[in-house]
Amino acid sequence: MIVVLLILHGLLAVALLGAITHQALSVLAAPAAKSRWTFVTRFRSVNGPAYATPIVLLFSVTALGGALLYPQYRIDVRPALEDLQNSAANGVFEIKEHLVAIGLGLLPAYWLFWQQPLAANTAAPRRYLTWLLAFFVWWGFLAGHVLNNIKGLLP
Amino acid sequence: MNGPRLKIFSIVFGVFYIVAFYFDLALFRYYPAVREFHWMRTDGIGVVILWYGWIATSALASAAIAFAVPGKMAERLWPGWVWIVPTAVVVVMLIYERRWFV
Repeated sequence: MIVVLLILHGLLAVALLGAITHQALSVLAAPAAKSRWTFVTRFRSVNGPAYATPIVLLFSVTALGGALLYPQYRIDVRPALEDLQNSAANGVFEIKEHLVAIGLGLLPAYWLFWQQPLAANTAAPRRYLTWLLAFFVWWGFLAGHVLNNIKGLLP
Repeated sequence: MNGPRLKIFSIVFGVFYIVAFYFDLALFRYYPAVREFHWMRTDGIGVVILWYGWIATSALASAAIAFAVPGKMAERLWPGWVWIVPTAVVVVMLIYERRWFV
C-alpha cells in the first residue's frame, strides 16, 4: 500500500512540476514579436490562467499524499539517516516540509490573482507568487527523489 | 472568504507557521508508532510528528485574522505584501535551517 501511495505521490508531483513550470515561464517578459519559434517559446506560450486551478488541486493532493507518507518516513527513514549521521539529508527534507506548508498557505492568494479577468495591478504579485510556488515544487520534487533514492546515491 | 480576506490569509499563514514551528505551538501531535493523535506532549510512545499540528495552528490563526480584519482595511491592502511577506518567511526559515548543514 505504501509503495502504491509513493508512486502515486511521485506521479502527481511530476504533473504538478510540469504545470507550474509552464506557468512560471509563461509570466516571464513576452518574447519579441519576431523572435524565433523555439522549444522555449513554445513551452512558455501557454494559457496561464487555465493552469491555476489544476495547480491548486495538484499541489493540495500531492501535499496530502506526502502527509500520508510522512509517518513511514519518520519511523523508518529519518532514524536511518540519523544513524548514518547524514543530517544534511534530514535538513533537505525539513526544508521541504516547511516549503510545502508555506505553499499551502499561499494557494488562496495565488488562485485569486489568477482569476479572469487578470487585473493589471496584480501582474507583479501574480508573477512572484507563481515563481515562489515553482521554487517550492522544484525543491520538494528534487528533495523527495534524492531521499527516495538515497541508498543508491550514497557510497 | 472573499478576495481581500484570502489575501490576508495567505500573507499571515507563513508567519504563523514559522512561529508555530519555532515555539513548538502544534495544535495537536501525531505519534506514528502507535498511530495516535494527542493534544499534549506524551512521552514513551515513540517519535512525534508536529508538522500536521503546525499547519493546523497556522490555518486556524490565519483564518481568524482574515475574518477579524475589517473589510475596508483588507481591500486597501497593497497586493505586493502577498509575495513579499512569504518570501521573507522563507528566507528566515532557510537561515534557521542552516543548522542541518554545518
